Amino acid sequence: MMDRRTFLHTLGLLTGGSALSACTPGKDRRHLVSALVPPEDGVVPGQSVWHATTCTECPAGCGMQVRLREGRPVKAEGVPGHPVSGGGLCVRGQASLWRLYDPRRLRGPQVRDGGALRAATWDDALSRVASALAEARGAGRTGAYLSGRTTGALAALLAESAPALGLEWLPRFEPFSHAAIRRANGLLFGAPEVPRLDAARPDVLLTVGADLLETFVSPVGLAAQVVAGPAGRRWWHAEPHCSLTGANADRRLVLRAGSEPWLLAWLLARVAPSARRPLPPAVVAAMPRPSIAATAEATGVAVDALEALGAALAAAKEPLVVAGAIATAAEGGLAVAGLAALLQWTLGATGRTVDLARGEGYGDVGSLLDLRALGERLERGQVGVLFVARANPVRHAPAAWRLAGKLAGATLRVGLGDLMDETLREMDVVLPLSHPLETWEELAPRRGLRELLRPAAAPLGDTRAEGDVLLELRRRAGETVAPSYQERLMAGWRARYDDAALRAYSAAGWAEEPVSGPPVGLDAGAAAELLRGVRLSPPKPGLVLVLAPSIRSFDGRSRALQLLEEVPDPLTTVTYGPWISVAPGDARRLGVADGDELRVTLGGWSAELPAKLQPGLAEGVFVVQRDVLPSFPGGMDPATGEAICALPGPGLERTGRGGRMPYLSGSPSQQGRGLIPEPIHRKETAKRASLYPEHPHPEHRWTMAIDVSRCIGCGACAASCYVENDVPVTGAREHRLGREMSWLRIEPFYDAAGGVDFLPILCQQCHAAPCEPVCPVYAAYHNPEGLNVQVYNRCIGTRYCSNNCPYKVRRFNWFDPVREAPLDLLHNPDLSARGRGIMEKCTFCVQRITAARDRAKDEGRAVRDGEVVPACAQSCPTTAIVFGDLNDAGSRIAALVKAPGSWRVFEELGTEPSVHYHRGGGEGER
Amino acid sequence: MTGTRVGSEVERDVLGAIRRPGWRWLLGLAVSGLLAVLLHVLWGALIVRGLGLTGLNNPVGWAVLITNFVFWVGIAHSGTLISAVLFLFRARFRTSFNRSAEAMTVFAILVAGMFPLIHLGRVWVFYFLLPYPIERLIWPNFRSPLPWDVFAVTTYLIVSVVFFYVGMIPDLALARRHLPGLRGRIYAVLSLGWQGTGEQWRHYARLYLFLAAFATPLVASVHSIVSWDFAVSIVPGWHTTIFAPYFVAGAILSGTAMVLTLSIPMRRWLGLEAHMPIDHYEGIAKILLFTSLLVGYTYVVEQGLSLYGPSPFERDQYAFRAFGPYRGLFWLMVVCNAILPLTLFLRRARRSLPWLFVLGILVNVGMWTERFVLIVASLSHDFDPYAWGTYSPTRYEIGITAGSFGLFFLFFLLFSRLLPVIAITESKQALADRAGEEGTP
Amino acid sequence: MTRLEFDGREEFLARLRALVEAGTPPERIRLQMPFEVAEAAEILGERPGAVRFFALAGALAGFGTGLALTIYSVVSFPLRVGGKPIVSLPPFLLIGYLLTILFGSLGAFAGFLLLARMPSPRGLAADAELADRFVIVVEGEEGR
Repeated sequence: MMDRRTFLHTLGLLTGGSALSACTPGKDRRHLVSALVPPEDGVVPGQSVWHATTCTECPAGCGMQVRLREGRPVKAEGVPGHPVSGGGLCVRGQASLWRLYDPRRLRGPQVRDGGALRAATWDDALSRVASALAEARGAGRTGAYLSGRTTGALAALLAESAPALGLEWLPRFEPFSHAAIRRANGLLFGAPEVPRLDAARPDVLLTVGADLLETFVSPVGLAAQVVAGPAGRRWWHAEPHCSLTGANADRRLVLRAGSEPWLLAWLLARVAPSARRPLPPAVVAAMPRPSIAATAEATGVAVDALEALGAALAAAKEPLVVAGAIATAAEGGLAVAGLAALLQWTLGATGRTVDLARGEGYGDVGSLLDLRALGERLERGQVGVLFVARANPVRHAPAAWRLAGKLAGATLRVGLGDLMDETLREMDVVLPLSHPLETWEELAPRRGLRELLRPAAAPLGDTRAEGDVLLELRRRAGETVAPSYQERLMAGWRARYDDAALRAYSAAGWAEEPVSGPPVGLDAGAAAELLRGVRLSPPKPGLVLVLAPSIRSFDGRSRALQLLEEVPDPLTTVTYGPWISVAPGDARRLGVADGDELRVTLGGWSAELPAKLQPGLAEGVFVVQRDVLPSFPGGMDPATGEAICALPGPGLERTGRGGRMPYLSGSPSQQGRGLIPEPIHRKETAKRASLYPEHPHPEHRWTMAIDVSRCIGCGACAASCYVENDVPVTGAREHRLGREMSWLRIEPFYDAAGGVDFLPILCQQCHAAPCEPVCPVYAAYHNPEGLNVQVYNRCIGTRYCSNNCPYKVRRFNWFDPVREAPLDLLHNPDLSARGRGIMEKCTFCVQRITAARDRAKDEGRAVRDGEVVPACAQSCPTTAIVFGDLNDAGSRIAALVKAPGSWRVFEELGTEPSVHYHRGGGEGER
Repeated sequence: MTGTRVGSEVERDVLGAIRRPGWRWLLGLAVSGLLAVLLHVLWGALIVRGLGLTGLNNPVGWAVLITNFVFWVGIAHSGTLISAVLFLFRARFRTSFNRSAEAMTVFAILVAGMFPLIHLGRVWVFYFLLPYPIERLIWPNFRSPLPWDVFAVTTYLIVSVVFFYVGMIPDLALARRHLPGLRGRIYAVLSLGWQGTGEQWRHYARLYLFLAAFATPLVASVHSIVSWDFAVSIVPGWHTTIFAPYFVAGAILSGTAMVLTLSIPMRRWLGLEAHMPIDHYEGIAKILLFTSLLVGYTYVVEQGLSLYGPSPFERDQYAFRAFGPYRGLFWLMVVCNAILPLTLFLRRARRSLPWLFVLGILVNVGMWTERFVLIVASLSHDFDPYAWGTYSPTRYEIGITAGSFGLFFLFFLLFSRLLPVIAITESKQALADRAGEEGTP
Repeated sequence: MTRLEFDGREEFLARLRALVEAGTPPERIRLQMPFEVAEAAEILGERPGAVRFFALAGALAGFGTGLALTIYSVVSFPLRVGGKPIVSLPPFLLIGYLLTILFGSLGAFAGFLLLARMPSPRGLAADAELADRFVIVVEGEEGR
C-alpha cells in the first residue's frame, strides 16, 4: 500500500507531464532544462519522448502516442497493437495536434454583455454560472446538461455532478447516434447497443450504407479488420451514392435511395430457409417475401447481381451483414436496421462477428428525438440553466426546427468547447476547454476498455478541463469535492490498481477488463412485430440529394482544422470549401463542368455549391458532405430519431457563377498509362540495358513497398506526412492555382465502370533519378543509401528538377511558409527549415532513418528490419506501406520486392524507382 | 564616284544621325525607360515576396520567364549570323545591317541573361551556379544543362561584345573626327587610338576573320545548348533530338524578323534610305523565308514523329498542343511562323518594306508563342495524369515581359544615337568594291 | 620622307605597286587606309600576322581549362546524380568547347591589341592622323 504522495510521485515519473500540467498559464512557462530531471519529466534538448494517450477526435477512442520535443507535442501516431485501432491513426487523429495549436482556439472564458460575447475571467464567468444555478434552484427550475458522448471518469463525474448542481444530464447528443441500430437491437434482443463488429473474419461481407472505412463507429479499427479479411473474401457494399467504403468494396451495388428494405427483405427470405440459425416460425410467417423481380425493380440492382449476392451469403462459412449510416438515416431506417439484425442472427453472425455483449457503449447516447424534446421544454420555459458541452446541436438539428432561437428559453446558456461554433455563438457564457493533450482524463470508449489521457503540454490558453469546471461549480455551490479533477482521477486509479498494474496501464495507455454478458436471445414476438411493420413501397422517382458523412471532418466537428482541408477528399480530391458531387450524366444534362456553381433548393432551404463531377455516381443522385453545409436541410425519422440524409426532390439550377475550384486531380482516369497496371504486365524481369555501370549502395538501400489492395485512400499517410515533415499548409487560393505542397498524395483513378483504384504517390527515390542530373548545384543527389536527397540550403530554386520529375512529387515554396501562432509550435526540430524559393520533397523521413542508424551505432548493432518506420507507414490504418533495407536479404521488403506481382510506376522510363507497388502478398504487420 | 572621296556620304549621314535627337526618339526613350523601370520594380517584388506572384504552379514550373529567355536568346542569333556567317560567305547585303544586328545581339543577350536570374527561387544565391572555390568544396553540377547555359550565354555575350566592338573601332575613330569636345575625346578613347595604318589593318583583318570563325559555331551551339535545357529532360514534348536544329532555325527566323522590325523604322527616321537599299532587305527576306521553311518542316516532323512513335506520352502531348487549352496559341504559332512567311516567295512581298515590317512583328509574335506553347503545354500535360494542370500568367509576368522589351528598346534607342548604326568603313569598302567592279566590266 | 595621298583606291594601289616595283623596300613604306585593302598587303609581300597563334593558344587553353575544371570538380567532390558516372565526359566536353571559343576569341583580341600596338597613346594624341584618304609614306633611308 502506498500513500498518496508516493503514488503521485510514481505516476509523475512514469507519465511525465505532471510537471508541465502543474504550470499554470500566465506564469513564466520556461521549461526546466536540467541534467538531474529525467527526460520524461523535464526537457532534455534534442531528445524525444513518446507519451501513450488516446485520440478524441471522434468517439472511437483509438490509441495515440504523442512525441514530445522540448516539452511540446510535435507528432501523433498510432499505438501498435491497440485494441481499438490496431495501430493506425486516421487523418482526423493526425489533425488532433492542429486542434491543440489552432490559432482560433478559445483562449479564455467569454460572457455575453449587451448582446455580444466579451472576454472575461474564469472567476467572472463561473460566478455568473453559479449565481444562475442558485437562482434556478430557488425558482425550482431544473437545468439541463447536454453533452457529446461522454464515457469513463468524466461520465461518472457528470452523473454525480448534474443532480448536485440541479441539472438533468440529457441523453448524449451525437449526430452519428446509430439510433436505428440501437433501437432495432433493443427491440429484437433487448440490447439497445451498437454491436462490436469483427470485420476480419467474414468470408462474405455485405455492408448496406455502413461506411466502415470512413465514420462508422470505429473506422480505423474496422478498416484494419476489413483489409485483413481471409483470402478470397468477397465484400459487397450497397448504397445510393458513392462513398469511399463503396469504392473499396469488391463490388459496389448502387441502390435506389430508400430501397434498402427491399434488398434486405429479399435477402432475409432468400437465406432464412437454409440458414444455420433458423428463425422462429412466427418470424418466418411475418417475413416479407418480395420477388426477385420486384426487388430488382425497386432497388435498381440487376437480378443476376442479387442472385450472386444471395447465393454467396447462403453458402458462406462466416457471413456478415451490416446496415447503418446512410441506410438507416432514412424513413424506414428501423426496418433496415431490424432486417439487418435478423440477417445477422439467422446467418449466425450475432454472437460471433456481431458482439452485442461487448458493445460499443452507445447505450446512453440519445437521438434527435431527445433534442426535439429539449427544444419543446425550452419553448415552454421549463429549462433553467442550459449547459452544452462538446456538442453542436444548433448545427446538426434540422434547420426547420430553428433550435438556435429556442435556446433563449433557458435562464442562462453555458457552452463548453474549444473552437467557436454555431452553438457556442448562442451561449451567454463560453467556457474554453483544455485540449485532451493538456489534461488528465480516462475514457471508456467501449465496454471493457479503459483508456488513459495524459497531459503532454501545459495549456496554451487560459483553459480548463471539463471535470475541473464541474468540481468548481459544485464547490461554489457549497459542496466539498476533490481539490482537482486530476486528484479525483488519481484517487480512482489508486483504488483500482496496484503499482504494477498502474505501470502497465500508464505505459500502454489502455487496459482491458473482462466483460461478460449473457448471450442475447431473439424476441420472436418483437421480431414478428417489427417485420410486420416493414413497408416495402417503391422508392420515389426523381432526384435525390444525399448528405454523406465525411472522412475528413466526421460529422463536422473537425471542419475548422485547416490540415483536414489541405488533405484532399479521397474520391473527388477537393480540398477547400464545399462542393456538390454530380454524376457525369447529370452534369451533361445540367450543363455544368467542375467548378460551376449550382443552387440547391429543398423546400425553403437553399445553398449555392460548386459542382464536382464524380465518376461512378448514379445519375439522379447528388452528394453533399453534410459537414460542409451551414445548416442541416433534412428532417428526422420519428421512429428512431435519426436524421434523414437521403432527401428526395432537390431543386438544382445553375447560378451562372463558377471558376477554378480547389481540387488536385488533373484527370480522374489513368488515360491508359498503366500507373496501376491491369492486369499486371509491366514487371520487367530482365535487367535494363544501360550505358552506365550499376552504382553501389554499400550499407543500406532504403526501399518501400506499397500494397495497393490494402490502400483504402483514407489520407492518413498524407496527413501524417504533413505533421512529421512540417509540410507547408498553403490554403484555398494556392490550391486553386495548383500549388499544394503535399509530399505524399493518394491518386484516385477511375475506370470506365466507375470503380476506383487508389495509388499513393510519393518521391520514388529513383536510382536513375531524372531530377538529379538537371540540378545545376547538386541540391538533388543520390546518397549512398539509395535516397534521392534534397539539400535545402543548396537549392537555388530553378524548379528544373520538378519539371523533369515524371511523378511530379517535388514541391516548390512559392512563398515563405507562414504558420500563425501558436501553430508555429507544431514543428519538427529534426528537419531543416525551408524558406521561399526552395524545392522540397519526401526523403523517406530521412530524419527517422538517421535517428535509427545513430541508435543502432550507439548500441553497436545493425539497424533491425522494421526499426525505421516513416510517418506515412506508421499511420496507415491498413498497414499498406512497408519500409526497409533491400540490402538486408531477410527483410520483409526484400521479399515483397521480389514478389511476382510487384511493379514500379513508369518503370519503362528507366528511372529505377525505390518504391515498389504490389497487390496483396505481404500480410500486414506492424 | 571617281574623283570624290569614297563613301563620304555614308560617313556624313551615319555620323550626322548621332547629333540630332528628335521628338520620336525622346518619346521612345521615355516609354522604354519607364518599362525598364517597371521590369526592375516587379522583379524586386518577386524577390521580396516570392515567385508565388507569378502564375507558375506545380506541374508548370517554367513558363513566361523562361519563354522570354529563349525568345531573347533567339533574337540574339541573327546578329551573329549576319555579322559572322555572312561575313565568311561574303554576302554583300550584310553591310546595311551588321552593325545594328550586332548591337541587337548584345542587347538581346543582356536582356535574355536577366531571365534565368529572375526565375530563380533564390536569386540572392545565384553565384552557386558559378564555378568558384568555396570552403564547402562544392562545385556546380556540370552535367546539368543550366551551367551549360551559364557558360554558353556568358561566352556568347563576351564574344558578341568583342565582335561588336572590334567591328566598330575604325568607325569610332571616324566619329572622333566628326565630333568636337568631350564626346570626341570619348570616341577617341573608345577607338584605342586607331590610325588605320597598314600594319593595324593587316592584324585587324586577321582578328576579324578569327572572330567571325569563332562566332560562327556559336550561332549553332548557343541555341542548341538552350534547346538542350529541354531536350536533355525526359518531359514528353521536350525530349527529342530534333530540338537543336529546330531551335537554331527558329532563333535565326526570329532574329532576322527582329532585324526587319528594328531597321525599317530606323532607316526611315535616321534618313539612311540611301545606304540601306531594298536589295539588301530582299537578302534578309530570303533568309527569313528559308528559316521559316526549316521551322515549318520541324513542326511537321515533330507532330509526325509523335504520331508514328511508340510513346503514348508523346502522342498525347502533341494532341494536347493542337487541341487542348493552348490550341489557339498553337495555331497562331503555325500561321505566323510557317504560313505567313511563305508570301516571301513573291518578289513583290520581299521588296515591300511595310509588309516586311509587319511580317517581322508577326513572326516574332509567332516565335514567342512557339516557345510558350512548347514550354507550358509540355509541362502541363506530362506523365502522371493526376498531376496535370494548366497555367496562365499573372500581371507580374506580363509586366516583366513588357519591361524586357522596354529595356531592349532603351538599349537600342541609345545605341541609335550614340554609336554609328551602319558600318561606315565596311560600307566604304563595299562601295569601292562595287565601283571597282563597275569600272572593269 | 615622302607623303602621298589618294582619294581613290585604284590610284593608290597603282602607285604602291609602282613604288615596290621601283625597288623601294617594303619595310620603309608606311600606309594609312580608310578601310582594309587586302591587295596592299599582297603588294608589300606581308605574311598573315601572328594573331592566329594567339587565337590558337587561347583556344587550346580554353579547352584544357574546361576539361580540367569539370573533371577536377567531380573528382574532388564525387556526388552521384541520376545514376550517371562520376566523370561524365559528354557534358564536360561541352564546357571545354565553350571555353575554347571564349578563350580563343579573347586570345585573338589580345593578340591584335599587342600586335597593332593598341591602345596607342600616339594615336590618341594625334588628332588628324586618321584621314579618310589613302596615304603612302615612304620613310627616308635613315629612318625616323
